[in-house]
Amino acid sequence: MPSRRNSLLILGLVAILLAAAVYLIFIRQPVSQATQLGLDLQGGVSVQLEGYRTDGSEVERDEMERAVQVIRERVDSLGVTEPEIQIQGQDQVSVNIPGITDTERAVEVIGRTAQLGLYEVLAYEQQDNVPEGEVQSAEDDLRQSLKDDSEFEEGETKILFEESPALEGEGTYVAGYIVSEQPQITGGALDSATVGVDDQSNRIVQMNFTREGGQQFTDLSQEISQSTLGAGEPGRLAIVLDDDVESAPVVEQAIPGGQVSISNDSLPGGLPQDEAEELQVVLETGALPVNMRVLSVTTIGATLGAASLAGGLIAAAAGFALVLAFLTFIYRALGMVASAALLIYAFLLWGVIVAVPITITLPGIAGVVLALGVAADANIVIFERVKEEVRRGKTPRSAIALGYQKGFRAILDGNLTTIIVAMILFGLSSGSVRGFAVLLSIGVLLSMFTAVVVTRALLGLISSRGGLNLTPRMLGVSPDSIRPAGRGSESGEKARVR
Amino acid sequence: MAVGRATRNIDFVGGWRKWFAVSLAVIVLGLAAIGLGRLNLGIDFTGGTEFTLNDPGSGVTADGVQNAVPSGVAGEVTAQRLGNGNFEVTTPPLSQSESAEVRDALSSQFDSEVSTTNVSPTFGGQVRDQALQAVGVALAVIVVFISYRFEFAFATAAIAAVIHDILVTAGVYALVGREVNLVTVVAVLTVLGYSLYDTVIIFDRIRENTPEGEYERSRFDRLINDSIRQVITRSIYTSLSTLIPISALLIFGGSTLSDFAFALLVGILAGTYSSIFIASPVLSLYKARRGARPQREDEPQPGQV
Repeated sequence: MPSRRNSLLILGLVAILLAAAVYLIFIRQPVSQATQLGLDLQGGVSVQLEGYRTDGSEVERDEMERAVQVIRERVDSLGVTEPEIQIQGQDQVSVNIPGITDTERAVEVIGRTAQLGLYEVLAYEQQDNVPEGEVQSAEDDLRQSLKDDSEFEEGETKILFEESPALEGEGTYVAGYIVSEQPQITGGALDSATVGVDDQSNRIVQMNFTREGGQQFTDLSQEISQSTLGAGEPGRLAIVLDDDVESAPVVEQAIPGGQVSISNDSLPGGLPQDEAEELQVVLETGALPVNMRVLSVTTIGATLGAASLAGGLIAAAAGFALVLAFLTFIYRALGMVASAALLIYAFLLWGVIVAVPITITLPGIAGVVLALGVAADANIVIFERVKEEVRRGKTPRSAIALGYQKGFRAILDGNLTTIIVAMILFGLSSGSVRGFAVLLSIGVLLSMFTAVVVTRALLGLISSRGGLNLTPRMLGVSPDSIRPAGRGSESGEKARVR
Repeated sequence: MAVGRATRNIDFVGGWRKWFAVSLAVIVLGLAAIGLGRLNLGIDFTGGTEFTLNDPGSGVTADGVQNAVPSGVAGEVTAQRLGNGNFEVTTPPLSQSESAEVRDALSSQFDSEVSTTNVSPTFGGQVRDQALQAVGVALAVIVVFISYRFEFAFATAAIAAVIHDILVTAGVYALVGREVNLVTVVAVLTVLGYSLYDTVIIFDRIRENTPEGEYERSRFDRLINDSIRQVITRSIYTSLSTLIPISALLIFGGSTLSDFAFALLVGILAGTYSSIFIASPVLSLYKARRGARPQREDEPQPGQV
């Protein structure tokens, strides 16, 4: 049993911690803003992406870090608040954006590799008015026939396609272009991109080159303008984004000034507003260093989130109240002390969640509730020991001391196994599971403090001189079951040698 | 002490054939159900797209919801009503635009908020591998930990109990046909930790009660029985105090938390049973085999005859 002075010291520490928790939760900001809620509780979009390379080689960690940078800029330019972007494992990244619902646009903007390339067109063929559903076979035909072209050389050149609404009439305009394997100018030469209009008031995305890039572009356009395609046709420049040809304008003379634009002349008004903005964002933020494929997309509506939060809180509160009632019923005075400790535990846990801060998710709530069971258990282990000692004839005071002494090792081992499992979960899993593991671990650690140290100090204070005189009945032990001290009985006692 | 008194006549160790038979029956039934393909794997593992309709109101049926999905977009569609009045529609993996099409159709027809989850099959496979890996690593680390804190025999017994719990939980899932998702796996891993905790508490008492000196089977078995009797009240109270908040999750927690709570409920019942009726007898049997060896070096090993 700790001395009265030590008990007071511990309880003083608890009081300070509680005061800190009150400050963090209620005073520092309005209480409604204190706790960070996860997507599943407030609604939003969560996207899981995987980086990969077309040649199948491993993605490097620093490439993923650069990718995250780019994604962060893109998400910021969507104008949303507090996105959470994390690398997971070697090649995955999770993007959580609270409060948006336009999943399609978010995914399109985030996951787009946006590899920009400018190529000199070596040869091309086209088909207009391709009916819907036959685009693929039209491309296959074009590829077949372009492979016979004298400009095509396996390994040195590749064939890229353009698909756009037909120039006149129904269907799709499909064109195949033979270009060199590597682009003559890459996205690195780009300085900025802006949405603007051309002379016909059609919406375009204007790309502005860096000084060096501008020089490269002047040289390239010069070269193209002097070349001809097939039957004396003027040379063309292919503007390619992610292996799709956006447009392939004719270049009749060298273009100085370092500007080139992406347009869509076949649509009235040019590029649609959102497509233009999206293009501007991906060009402006630069290319992702690796390709990204979407692994999973989750959209949670705000109403569903709110309902989950309410359900989780009610469940936690009900569970909590019932556990307190249960402990008090079984262990009487001891149970009340344990209940006080559990209340302290709950409040300190909230304080930790706000202080770190930890984002609360549904699995996180589950972790908190489970840790509540573990916290109650620590007290049960100790109190069962105490009752056992009381039945052996010990005074409540020394029984309590022995109970803590003997119960502690079991609690330590038990809680360590729980924390080990939580750590494995944390290390090997991702996203929401991690929230569960974190809260379970913190809950278990905190519960060791409140259920062992704090209850012990409380009991020390209660049973110290001048305090309450605890009787066996107050500990939930009926006087009949107490055996006189000193008389060993029962086989369990015989086996005990120590 | 009522519990302690009631268990005075139970031979926890000697009656192992009975306890094992009960568990075996449950496990065999469960495995048969799994063999028959009754294990309902969710899109977390298989890949697919799931739509959740938030409380479209009364009068809406699962069939109605299913028919509202535009035909030709989604392929095989299943719809079901969840406990809280929400509906869940599951389809094979859809592209972003297809998924948006279905979402818009559902939300306009029922004037209700629609949440979506889209998991690619690759990712589902990864999640499955990750989950199995986590279970494997957890088991290995625990063997090391318990061998270190106790001894190898205890670790063997604890692992037997944990594997028992995993099999029982998986079997019950197959039997009742509840969906297995990522949350279920987390719950199973948690149960694994809980069951171990429970086992460790009993083992701690056995360790404490073990006298110095030579191992002797009948004395050790008696000691296990006594140790269990000493801690069984605690075991039951702890299970209750854990099951109380879990029941609250099951009842109030909405679909995700109630899924989690169900797995915990089954697992913790199995875990409490296994710490007492599986782990302890296994410890005794293992010790009997190992402990007997040194004295019988010149005789054939039991089981090889």
